[in-house]
Amino acid sequence: MREDLMDIICCPLDKHELDLEVIRRDDDEIMEGRLVCTECGEEYPVEDGIPNLLPPDMREESPA
Amino acid sequence: MSEAPDEGAATRDDDAQRRLVRERYADIATDDSRSGCCDGTDESDDGCCDDSIGTDSEQLGYSSDDTESVADGADLGLGCGNPKAIADLEAGETVLDLGSGAGFDCFLAAEEVGAEGRVIGVDMTPEMVEKARDNVAKNDAPNVEFRLGEIEHLPVADECVDVVISNCVINLSPAKGQVFAEAFRALVPGGRLAVSDVVLTASLPDSVRRDPDSLTACIAGASTVETIEQLLADAGFVDIEIAPKDDSAAFISEWDDQRDLSEYVVAATIEARRPTTE
Repeated sequence: MREDLMDIICCPLDKHELDLEVIRRDDDEIMEGRLVCTECGEEYPVEDGIPNLLPPDMREESPA
Repeated sequence: MSEAPDEGAATRDDDAQRRLVRERYADIATDDSRSGCCDGTDESDDGCCDDSIGTDSEQLGYSSDDTESVADGADLGLGCGNPKAIADLEAGETVLDLGSGAGFDCFLAAEEVGAEGRVIGVDMTPEMVEKARDNVAKNDAPNVEFRLGEIEHLPVADECVDVVISNCVINLSPAKGQVFAEAFRALVPGGRLAVSDVVLTASLPDSVRRDPDSLTACIAGASTVETIEQLLADAGFVDIEIAPKDDSAAFISEWDDQRDLSEYVVAATIEARRPTTE
């Protein structure tokens, strides 16, 4: 994901802003990292450049 | 959780419905035999021809320019229309695609909105989002982004999208009212919804309604025009126009070997607008 799209993403649960913690970057693209809700503290992983913003109960079922 | 007017969802709980849909579309995403299928040469058991889904894109309303402009692998033939054509996109707009799959409609939208615009695809199936992401590089589309998300819980901030598009996806949701409410929230005032989806024209026999394959093939979850109108109005939308496409029987009748599903559903364009002032 690209950092300049941060302004239009939000927590799927409470719609508050997310803080980005970058683990690995590839040029402009964030490949691994975490998106943390500034309100509820829920963490959403960024894996292989894909932000996983599924609600937590849906995320646990997914193989990724 | 679920809403009473969703006729098709009555026999299945919401979580089970989501799981069925996800498993089905994960299978489709990871089935390599699908590329180039429905051309008469695909004989595999899992190919879309056998499952009677996967429709020729020009039959759905895409031009040959559309299909040629997007690199192979993004067009899985899973839609029932051409939302880009409905949406009338302009350069610089921000577009959100609900249930973006392998990304075909996103890449087409990206061409319309240009470098100043952007397109976000949301899909709940990890295998589909991975496929779509791989297609970003193939299509040299830096203004397209995909994320894993649920259309009932959109990870998109309030009032930041000009146009919401979707192609044959909302029928799969057990909570359509919530999908429309989320789309409304994400749209800027004056923003528009331009969707292609199937709508119910006659009551489904129980055998069709209970068949899990019939749900994932976009039949059992379909709602009537009146129900969709009501759900859109409840979400706050105005200028609601739902137009069934009479010529869709030609491809819908090919979706199932055993039954002619065009007796029960028709593809429709669904348009609505978030009012400028509330």
